[in-house]
Amino acid sequence: MTPVLDFRAIERSFKRNVPVLNGVTFALEAGEVAGLLGRNGAGKTTLIRIAIGMLFPHAGSVRVFGASPTADPVGIKRRIGYVAEDQVLPAGSSVAELIALHRYLFPRWDGALERELLDRFALPPASRIKHLSKGQARQAALLCAVCHRPELLLLDEPAGGLDPAARREFLETSIQLLNREGTAILFSSHHMNDVERLGGRVILLDEGKVRLDEDLDRLREGVCVALVPRASADDPAALERVPGCLRVRPVSDDWHAVFRGEPDAVQASLVTALGVNGIRCARVPLEELFIEMVGGNRGEPV
Amino acid sequence: MIHPADELPIYRQIMRQITEAIAVGRLKAGEKLPSHRDLSEQLVIAPLTVKKAYDELELLGFLETQRGRGTYVCARLPQPDPVQQMQQVRDTARKLLSQAYLAGLRYPDVLQVLEQAGHALAAPPKEEEKV
Repeated sequence: MTPVLDFRAIERSFKRNVPVLNGVTFALEAGEVAGLLGRNGAGKTTLIRIAIGMLFPHAGSVRVFGASPTADPVGIKRRIGYVAEDQVLPAGSSVAELIALHRYLFPRWDGALERELLDRFALPPASRIKHLSKGQARQAALLCAVCHRPELLLLDEPAGGLDPAARREFLETSIQLLNREGTAILFSSHHMNDVERLGGRVILLDEGKVRLDEDLDRLREGVCVALVPRASADDPAALERVPGCLRVRPVSDDWHAVFRGEPDAVQASLVTALGVNGIRCARVPLEELFIEMVGGNRGEPV
Repeated sequence: MIHPADELPIYRQIMRQITEAIAVGRLKAGEKLPSHRDLSEQLVIAPLTVKKAYDELELLGFLETQRGRGTYVCARLPQPDPVQQMQQVRDTARKLLSQAYLAGLRYPDVLQVLEQAGHALAAPPKEEEKV
């Protein structure tokens, strides 16, 4: 089957010789959910904008439903829902006018879903967009992004700046869509708890490349973090040589290292390799894993 | 209730809660479980995560899916190897005791903790904690 979204060796920079994306490759199948993770500036927004045809890649190719997003821009956009991090909605128009515009643009508009979401979000139809709260504006944007029942939903930091209750409502709506429509979703987020709830696949961008691309549960159960006393290895290379090592960084008096494998097995191979005791290995939640994979060094090596 | 930031992935948390509910008789043989969709919306997690938990429990012999009707607790639950089972309970007991001693508890305190845990497991579930 043709993937709904297919990135191949995407490169893009905004300043000469400073690539934001430097060879990003992955594909999303119909109905698949993937969380796009990465630090600020890792290129998540750039990648999503390339998917919707708002930016060209400098190298590589992007295919949406098997075609270039710029070949038939209207046709493609009718099958995509998109909520941007800094969604700009027409400030002076009312909620009802905004919805009427979208209903007009999308032939497959689902009026029942529109009424249901208007009701759930308690959006006042007569209110002007500029008078909505941040959460309400985001909900209006979500409503406009999903009522044409897209096959692919692109959410760029959809919950950024929302309070926990609004974030949860947003998540509930996304999950209902998954249940009803089997929509493929690519969403970028810094809220690791939300990523765990939406499940599916985790794609971690770092230094312009895909650092991890894996099923969330497999990642949670197949990767562990080892804390190794700093004195037991002169430099990170000693740890990087141990099989399964994904990353090493110094944190105060320890090395923190991410390994593939069972905690007990990793601990055993570290003890053998370094010939020291006092090594601890544990599985960690996604948030900790994120920090260990892309967090900076802390504390100068001794 | 499920906790995204728990050490266990969400599907494992669901598996644990279902097996616990079966162990204390809160879920009975032949009882119907909520659909993937209902439980996913109730817990606000992906439907595939619920499916994964159910599938794993089906492989282990706790649940069975009747095509088009839903998922049920097996009429005949798996009979685990009693020797191996006992060994696991002993291991867990040892871990529990060492953790309690590290926390400064003494043996009678631990017995009290166990008793409380027993009551908590037997208590009827709150509405949102059905599974």
